[in-house]
Amino acid sequence: MGSSAVGIVANPLAGRDVRRLVAQASVFPNSEKAKMIQRLLAALGAVGVTDAFVSTDVGGISAAVLRSLGPDPAAGRPEWPTVHFVELERYSSTAADTAELVGAMMGAGVGAIVCLGGDGTARAVAASCGDTPLLALSTGTNNVFPEVREATVAGLAAGLVAQGAVDATTVLERDARLEVIAHSRVETALVDVCLTRAASRGARALWDVGGLTELACVFARPDAIGLSSIPGLLCPVPRGAGHGVVLRLVPPRSAPAVVRAPIAPGLVVEVGVASWEHLHRGRPHMMGTGGGVVALDGEREIELDASERVQVRFCTDGPVRIDPSATLAEAAQRRLLCTLPAGAYGPGLPPSNDTP
Amino acid sequence: MSDTLEHRSAEPAELSADQLLDAYRRMRTIRAFEDRVHEEFATGDIPGFVHLYAGEEASAVGICMHLDDGDTIASTHRGHGHCIAKGVDPKPMMAEIFGRRTGTCHGKGGSMHIADLSKGMLGANGIVGAGAPLACGRALAAKLAGNGEVCVVFFGDGASNQGTTLEALNLASVWQLPVIFVAENNGYAETTASSWSVAADNIADRADGFGMPGVIVDGFDFFAVWEVAREAVTRARRGDGPTLMEVKLTRYYGHFEGDQQTYRGDEVERARRDFDCLKWFRTRVTTNGMLDAAALDTIDAEAAALIDDAVAEARSAPLPGREDLETDVYATY
Ligand SMILES: Cc1ncc(C[n+]2csc(CCOP(=O)(O)OP(=O)(O)O)c2C)c(N)n1
Ligand SMILES: [Mg+2]
Repeated sequence: MGSSAVGIVANPLAGRDVRRLVAQASVFPNSEKAKMIQRLLAALGAVGVTDAFVSTDVGGISAAVLRSLGPDPAAGRPEWPTVHFVELERYSSTAADTAELVGAMMGAGVGAIVCLGGDGTARAVAASCGDTPLLALSTGTNNVFPEVREATVAGLAAGLVAQGAVDATTVLERDARLEVIAHSRVETALVDVCLTRAASRGARALWDVGGLTELACVFARPDAIGLSSIPGLLCPVPRGAGHGVVLRLVPPRSAPAVVRAPIAPGLVVEVGVASWEHLHRGRPHMMGTGGGVVALDGEREIELDASERVQVRFCTDGPVRIDPSATLAEAAQRRLLCTLPAGAYGPGLPPSNDTP
Repeated sequence: MSDTLEHRSAEPAELSADQLLDAYRRMRTIRAFEDRVHEEFATGDIPGFVHLYAGEEASAVGICMHLDDGDTIASTHRGHGHCIAKGVDPKPMMAEIFGRRTGTCHGKGGSMHIADLSKGMLGANGIVGAGAPLACGRALAAKLAGNGEVCVVFFGDGASNQGTTLEALNLASVWQLPVIFVAENNGYAETTASSWSVAADNIADRADGFGMPGVIVDGFDFFAVWEVAREAVTRARRGDGPTLMEVKLTRYYGHFEGDQQTYRGDEVERARRDFDCLKWFRTRVTTNGMLDAAALDTIDAEAAALIDDAVAEARSAPLPGREDLETDVYATY
């Protein structure tokens, strides 16, 4: 049996990094995220979800959602689920906020979580949402894991999944992930892990492929944006293939293979590949020597000591991802969003009295 | 076909050990300078107001590391850090703050008017929001001269709401001027929180309305500021026009010396403990073996000694005399 509650997590920070300067990455204002939440709420209400747990933030998103509830927010809006704002004692403006918010939503028994942000946001949510089905919506054009999809449609799908109205085995997919074990920390990447010779995390985003030496990907689609497009165009690995891929990167001049890859919006660059191989479960790949920084899903995260190495493991216990297309296909098949005269289930509908 | 593609350098453009030491020295000197002015102000011997920059060092230094003496900066009432980062000599600066004849501006300007054109420092400025139009003028001159020079204007979250700043953003974009607008958002204009007074989620969001890129940077992290500034300065030098960088940071002292700070909680304590730009820098460069701690300790000691000397020299320097009344002025009578 499903739950009639859905969690919504929006990251107020996504979307204003250096990629606006070095590439033509889109800008996604918080006011637009607040509107996406309103569209989600409308869709959740339409499929009968009774409670929505919405993250709060100091970037103005939850404040705008609160305003949209009208002069008496406690009374709510009849066509929406009851909106519960999940608050934190203190906001750190880091991924720790996301983890805490998701924890609270899980405690409230949500049957699905929708997150709004980039790959970094999805990674933070996935790391703490356990087996709760996840639907990650992209706020911007720079992401691989979250989907660019209209929030209203996503809301219908998440609502149907949360309530158990569709068959989990056809609409949910357990993703793989990469586990990165460094020194004192264990991290997850949903799409890619790479090693760069950069001296520091710096501006976090990664756009200078010149410093890249190794890249591991969970999957690699030919139509991806970001680092996974490099194997995506050379040696693609579909989602659910049961293995990932690892590449050794070198300057294009001395490389046996050169890929022209869209590593960021507006940036198609040449990347030299020395070799690649599949990354299998149970056979960890060791990365690094001589310092550098490890980037997770395109963001420099782990600064290495000169002697440190990291272990990258392909794991099949990633987040449980909602497939909105499959969900709505099943909804259509079961006519979950239709009202029909009794017995009228065949083709050639409707058989009612207004047909000639 | 392949040579039409953008080809980034094979080696990441990184800082050399000498540049890292230089950056640390500038940041440490600013901190030592400001901590000392804080103490000296309490003695009552400094005339006028001082607004201290401690805590914000990574912003000024991360940006000014990309500038030469020909490049210029326009500063604010909180300008000591910008001056030191741009290469102005701290000794005459200290003398200026004490109002002495040996000061950068012969003791006639004080804290809020320190200027040194030989270093491309166009001036601290007591008028909130005055810097951005000046920067446009200077950048227009550079553009007409075609000399590749850029101008950086530092301004606060309060100044970001001034008409002058907004007009300058527009003008810079219309004329594609080589200006880098650096909004140092320390969360307050005097006692008013920016969350109350800035009608946008981020100051950087305003860039969209002026047709320029807007980027948010962590102002505690020297490396983050340095990288973003590198791209913004390169863009300006190439003739591609202005950039708006919003640097988020915290000022460690009050708005001015004497501010009781009843409007804020423990944020300074937390910033000093968890994010301090000097600590962060030291940890990074020593753990990855780029520098050894002893070299940084030496800089700490040298900066402290420099500031000791600066204060001693300033205190023993003469005040301007009657004969100075008619110098450095446009008209004499
Ligand atoms: C035109 C003008 N208006 C008001 C003031 C008074 N004043 C001095 S500093 C300040 C606040 C400036 O805040 P912000 O721009 O955020 O800079 P910060 O002090 O935080 O560095 C104000 C209002 C002034 N100096 N000039
Ligand atoms: Mg301010």
